[in-house]
Amino acid sequence: MDSDDDMHDANDLDSLDDDYYSGDNGMGSDDGDGFEFDNSDDSDDSTSHHHRQQPSYTVLNEDDIRQRQEEVITRISTVLSIPRVSASILLRHYNWDVTKVHDAWFADEERVRKATGLLESSVVSNQNMKEFNCGICFEAYPRDRMYAAACGHYFCSACWTGYVSTSINDGPGCLMLRCPDPSCGAAVGQDLINLLVSEEDKQKYSRYILRSYVEDNKKTKWCPAPGCDFAVDFVAGSSSFDVSCNCSFSFCWNCTEEAHRPVDCVTVAKWILKNCAESENMNWILANSKPCPKCKRPIEKNQGCMHITCTPPCKFEFCWLCLGAWSDHGERTGGFYACNRYETAKQEGLYDEAEKRREMAKNSLERYTHYYERWATNQSSRLKAVADLQQMQSVHIEKLSDKQCQPETQLKFITEAWLQIIECRRVLKWTYAYGYYLPENEHAKRQFFEYLQGEAESGLERLHQCAEKELQTYLNAEGPSEGFNDFKTKLAGLTSVTRNYFENLVRALENGLSDVDSQGACSKTTSSKNLGGVTKRGGRGKGTTSRTTSTGPSRPQEDSPSWHCEHCTFANARANVTCQMCNRSPSAR
Amino acid sequence: MANSNLPRRIIKETQRLLSEPAPGISASPSEENMRYFNVMILGPTQSPYEGGVFKLELFLPEEYPMAAPKVRFLTKIYHPNIDKLGRICLDILKDKWSPALQIRTVLLSIQALLSAPNPDDPLSENIAKHWKANEAEAVETAKEWTNLYASGA
Ligand SMILES: [Zn+2]
Ligand SMILES: [Zn+2]
Ligand SMILES: [Zn+2]
Ligand SMILES: [Zn+2]
Ligand SMILES: [Zn+2]
Ligand SMILES: [Zn+2]
Ligand SMILES: [Zn+2]
Repeated sequence: MDSDDDMHDANDLDSLDDDYYSGDNGMGSDDGDGFEFDNSDDSDDSTSHHHRQQPSYTVLNEDDIRQRQEEVITRISTVLSIPRVSASILLRHYNWDVTKVHDAWFADEERVRKATGLLESSVVSNQNMKEFNCGICFEAYPRDRMYAAACGHYFCSACWTGYVSTSINDGPGCLMLRCPDPSCGAAVGQDLINLLVSEEDKQKYSRYILRSYVEDNKKTKWCPAPGCDFAVDFVAGSSSFDVSCNCSFSFCWNCTEEAHRPVDCVTVAKWILKNCAESENMNWILANSKPCPKCKRPIEKNQGCMHITCTPPCKFEFCWLCLGAWSDHGERTGGFYACNRYETAKQEGLYDEAEKRREMAKNSLERYTHYYERWATNQSSRLKAVADLQQMQSVHIEKLSDKQCQPETQLKFITEAWLQIIECRRVLKWTYAYGYYLPENEHAKRQFFEYLQGEAESGLERLHQCAEKELQTYLNAEGPSEGFNDFKTKLAGLTSVTRNYFENLVRALENGLSDVDSQGACSKTTSSKNLGGVTKRGGRGKGTTSRTTSTGPSRPQEDSPSWHCEHCTFANARANVTCQMCNRSPSAR
Repeated sequence: MANSNLPRRIIKETQRLLSEPAPGISASPSEENMRYFNVMILGPTQSPYEGGVFKLELFLPEEYPMAAPKVRFLTKIYHPNIDKLGRICLDILKDKWSPALQIRTVLLSIQALLSAPNPDDPLSENIAKHWKANEAEAVETAKEWTNLYASGA
């Protein structure tokens, strides 16, 4: 599809050093325990729920749907003084929109009656005959063995049954069934249908009415999860389309893909299409095993976090995604977490146009691979986390409670950590689709985005590792461990910090990274000499680790920010009164 | 063949088709299969098919009259709503079918379709395009085809 997109600016990285958004304005302080957080439960709740004070949707089960349907039918039937069967036909015709039914009816009742086949009186004048010829089987029957819709076109019950049941078994079109007479449009309602057909067909018909209420109604949709029978009723005008079904599946109400906040539906659709088109090229990405970058033995990934330790004797610690040394990833370097960035090899000395094109095509695939691998890996990492959480809740929490002599209520922080991991993996995954489509030439936005994404990712890796590995020690312990309280403090802290990082990321992407403009001045204060982004030709894309991103120590002192936000840890310039990242004010101390 | 269980309706329809045929139309059941009809329709006057005799086949499926009969032209015909295989684009043969319609009404509708081709709802894209681009020329072709393929019968 968008081959233009894929190719754009593939060799345009020399210009990267305009207003580079430095990644390390003060984040170096986050070495494990130095972050500030508040782990009282109250404050946790107030931050995690402030997006969703007003639920913008309702999850409906079958009974709820029927009840709502009955309610609107009653309303229309009462207001228009028509039978319930007619009200149901009208509502079906106007997609269950009560207002539309009202408007149309009171504007021109006759037209509406004609369009929907709701006749007021019979159109044939043979009402007094004792016997009729059935227009379908051509047999004569006494009148009391024949049926007609409001029009008075009589057919024998056997023919009616065949007619209605054929229509029901043809699909939901039976909800619009009309009299068999080809010149007549009289509607055939559920009352007549229930007199004529088998119990099985009645069930089918009533199922179609139910489905119509969900599927034709603009406010309602089925949950797309396989086998789920819940529907979701959505209130128009709410800020987010993300809904969470009672079956635990979260999806976007607008496009019914899995939830993809903060990335918009169009980008998601493009990305999914792209993945389909490239699926053959990308199969190898989904392999679960990679050679250790040091000893070359195949290492299998059977954990959620990306921090891999090779088996003894090698024990090399590396990053699953970029195969770089783990020590380069944030914590120790005090530097820029750049694993999320895609860097194109420089196009030096390529004068041959054909060769340049080949190189660009290769880069475009390499670029896509970079984003796709991160998208897909976060996806599988999330699934692993979902399974781990289930295991945690069904087995481990109880075991841990025994071993560490803690009541289960005191272990809530573990579940919260895992829920945070699951949500963050989802967000992070979609930000890679976002990153893929973010134009290369919007340097400031790109760098701001990669910075936020990098920080969020780095925080998440620490959180995931802590929940996955450090917890293991306490699970396997013989009895209560000394360090358990420290562990609790650390995990709860990482949860809270990671949540803040992701809230920043989500907010920034939902604003279309518009903060870049207002923050431009601040971001430019960091000297472009610190720019570590561009690797040499054949850099990370090929699995080597020649990154040159460690910039912290060379930063001129006067550029260093003066205060760190206690809410999101963003480093703000001295002149700012409120946090430039989250707009909150520091509490007075 | 399986004529023993023929519904009364089909028997009555057949009798009426034979005793009171519609003008320009003849339909007679095959001897081996009473659900299979050999049909002939005369090209309507004032149409490019005038003077032609068009052979069709009509079959009443098991579900008839709940399902529509299957009809197709056996004689080649140049018409925007009829394709190379003789299949016919006609609403009452599809979603507008009603069991209160009959073989007779179907054949009358097909005859009417010959008088009033509808290139806006085409089955044969090329012929429909031709019809819209240059109707006089398309009508000429239809006449030629009528002479070529529908005059001998
Ligand atoms: Zn009628
Ligand atoms: Zn009958
Ligand atoms: Zn569901
Ligand atoms: Zn969406
Ligand atoms: Zn190794
Ligand atoms: Zn990495
Ligand atoms: Zn802040």
